[in-house]
Amino acid sequence: MYDLGIIGAGPAGYVAAERAAAKGLSVVLFDKRELGGVCLNEGCIPTKTLLYTAKLYENALNGKKYGIVAENVSFDFGKIMARKNKIVRKLVGGIGAKMKKFGVEVVKGAASMEKRNTDGTIDIHCSEKTFTCKNVLVCTGSEAFIPPVPGLDKAEILTNREILELKELPKTLTIIGGGVIGVEFANFFCALGTKVTVIEMLPEILPGIDKDLSEMLRKDLEKRDITFNLSAKVTKVEGQTVTFEKDGKEHQVQHEKLLVSVGRRAVTHGFGLDKMGVEVLKTGIKIDSTCRTNIPNIYAAGDVTGFSLLAHTASREGEVVVNNLTGRKDRMRYSAIPAVVYTNPEVSCVGLTEEAAKAKGIEYNIRNLPMAYAGRWLAENEGGSGFMKILTGKKHNEILGVHAIGNPSSEFIYGAAMAIELELRLQDMEEVVFPHPTVSEIFKETVFAFQE
Amino acid sequence: MATPVIMPRQGQSVETCIITEWNKQTGDTIAKGDVICAYETDKASFEIEAEEDGTLLAVFFEDGDEVPVLENIAVIGAEGDDVEQFRPGSAQAEAPEAAPAEEKPAAPKATSETEPPAAAPAPTADRDSDSVRISPRARNKASRKGVAHEAVQGTGPKGRVIERDIDKAIESGQQRTAAAAEISTPQANEVEGTGLGGRITSSDVASGNTVYSNDSEVKKLSNIRKIIAKRMHESLQNSAQLTHHMSADVRRLMDARKAVKAKMAEENGPNITLNDMVCFATIKALKKFPDANSHFLGTEMRVFNKIHLGLAVDTPRGLMVPALKNADDLSLAGLSNQLKALADSCRQGNVDPALLESTAASFTVSNLGAYGVEMFTPVINLPQAAILGVNTIINRPADVGNGVFGFVPYIGLSLTYDHRALDGGPATLFLREIKEQIENFNETI
Repeated sequence: MYDLGIIGAGPAGYVAAERAAAKGLSVVLFDKRELGGVCLNEGCIPTKTLLYTAKLYENALNGKKYGIVAENVSFDFGKIMARKNKIVRKLVGGIGAKMKKFGVEVVKGAASMEKRNTDGTIDIHCSEKTFTCKNVLVCTGSEAFIPPVPGLDKAEILTNREILELKELPKTLTIIGGGVIGVEFANFFCALGTKVTVIEMLPEILPGIDKDLSEMLRKDLEKRDITFNLSAKVTKVEGQTVTFEKDGKEHQVQHEKLLVSVGRRAVTHGFGLDKMGVEVLKTGIKIDSTCRTNIPNIYAAGDVTGFSLLAHTASREGEVVVNNLTGRKDRMRYSAIPAVVYTNPEVSCVGLTEEAAKAKGIEYNIRNLPMAYAGRWLAENEGGSGFMKILTGKKHNEILGVHAIGNPSSEFIYGAAMAIELELRLQDMEEVVFPHPTVSEIFKETVFAFQE
Repeated sequence: MATPVIMPRQGQSVETCIITEWNKQTGDTIAKGDVICAYETDKASFEIEAEEDGTLLAVFFEDGDEVPVLENIAVIGAEGDDVEQFRPGSAQAEAPEAAPAEEKPAAPKATSETEPPAAAPAPTADRDSDSVRISPRARNKASRKGVAHEAVQGTGPKGRVIERDIDKAIESGQQRTAAAAEISTPQANEVEGTGLGGRITSSDVASGNTVYSNDSEVKKLSNIRKIIAKRMHESLQNSAQLTHHMSADVRRLMDARKAVKAKMAEENGPNITLNDMVCFATIKALKKFPDANSHFLGTEMRVFNKIHLGLAVDTPRGLMVPALKNADDLSLAGLSNQLKALADSCRQGNVDPALLESTAASFTVSNLGAYGVEMFTPVINLPQAAILGVNTIINRPADVGNGVFGFVPYIGLSLTYDHRALDGGPATLFLREIKEQIENFNETI
């Protein structure tokens, strides 16, 4: 008998397992693949490894901006991919060691909830064994969604999984879907010299991100020769040709490789949700603010819930579940979850966007400040562009949203998340001391910009 | 020489009283007989008078504080007198109790003569670390609000952390976000925080996902309110009560009332009210139905051969039901006088607490007629077996003789009885007897 059975060992599952075991619960963790889930094996970590390589290469090529002369700069695609694999292996091994240290029983295989016992416990079958659990956390994640475009089913396509296994750099790459995944891969392959074309159905890339930031990033990437086809609908895929409709006209683009990244869909089949009577919406498993499903001892966390498809959301959801199971009242709050696009330059956001504030009818004040106001950024981003945008509530001047484009905004956006969580006001932020010189000072500068 | 003012003991069962108002402040000059403060028990309110002249040197409790009886609540004396020895919980005041626990070296004491006396009770550092003194209420609130009560400075007796200390800690902003603190009201403490670490956010205060916003105020229940709540709820839960309604022709009663008024005008006669007359009639009926004049005690009944009439009285502090002992011994005028005196003492708050016990009365009358109530279901004051509700007078068509119909004034009577004690038949007969006593009222005024 286990206190907690966890199906899925991604950032929701392995974090919850570690936290629960540390608090003395007996935990069994199931996954049919490697520990770490999509995030670690075919998402966050491998892509960031690649993007850093791309940045290094770009910097080497553009060294003359900084007075550095580097000649015959080249790369070895095989070694780039090998380093990525090494990083992933190391981190997967690290999770395994952690699970061992905390006494979490890890079972490899497809797990399924088979039976609810009279005392409410749930029997999970995996690898021809039965594990009886008092509570179950379902965190089976999401998978790439393949849209019903004619010919796409027969075409040779890549998703985020396969594209990470390429042995050779493609000469041309077409990406259907200009969301975070599509744009990050576009950035990477473009940096290494692939001719990249992005086809996006909406009028701007990166839905959900502040429009001013998306636009600046897109223009920056366009300068580096990525072609963006916005408000464009793919109508047909045939061989190495994608046909799309834009402005009422038909266009065609040739490719060596095709990446489909139009979105992700919760994985809700194959592990007994129906047998248990768990309510599943179109988008994913329905949960309350404590991540509980309609069945009292079944919880869900991460992408399988179908919204806020982010690893850090998943981990926090897993922690909320464990806290409530171990007697600490806790709830999910989605108002201050940072989101980052790890392109060069990085786009980092937390809180309300201007569009969302308008849609919700929230009265706000807003200030924009170029990144160049932070001396450190100027020193390190020759010829670059970037800015920060802050939204505050009109009544109390509390920070509602912070949006930045510029390196390395991903490293200090958490400070804005804390400010939003604590509803800090401009006058509170003014009293916070920032280290000088850092790029983070742009946050403080923009706060003071409200005085003007 | 300073002397303490002590919270008096009011009856054997009273262990604490609530100070309702301080009439004097620290520093006021006091003359013997001055009212220093008012306080209430769960049954009545009282005042404390100064027993000597002097200056009010210290006050140890605030309005609304619940104080154990025989506790020092204030000190009267001459300016400069030491008051610390009287402070509740101070080492001197409770020497025998505190001494064994005192394990610290006596060094601070040696210098204490030259130092001003400690203004506050034992500071945090002096407290026994593994048994922080905290009231259950305060502990509860602290845990609900996520306040680290160990860090809170107690202001209760012996430095005990009490609820208001937790409230203060919350108010000081520990548990609110900056924006929420800006718009907070005291009642926002009752809001459940949904923010980081359970912090109250501005949306929680403004309404957000909470049941209550700042559109209401949380008031503490007075002791009397708590008692009423408990008794009424218990009554409905623990008995099998139901109500019969009947009306009585009150022409004779109204004639009598006219005579009373005439006599009042002529020779200052007693102001006997309709209610007095209904009570008088009820007493006569009770004499004939002793089972209704009883306490139902589960496995037995206490049937009274005297009538102790309970009278529901509306007072500013809430409902009180004092008993008029041996009401059956009284003439109509006597009954009227005594009911009036009893009601007055309830409104003034100086009624004998013993008369307010639910066991003091054998039967109760509750009159809402003056308010125009036409029918209601009074709640029995357990263990009494029944209660009579008296309603307003309504003119109803009735046969006034020889087939002639006219409008006749009728008074509504609502008898609630405990079916465990009385069956419907006898209860109805008893109610009809009251009706007949009213209709055949023939007391000379």
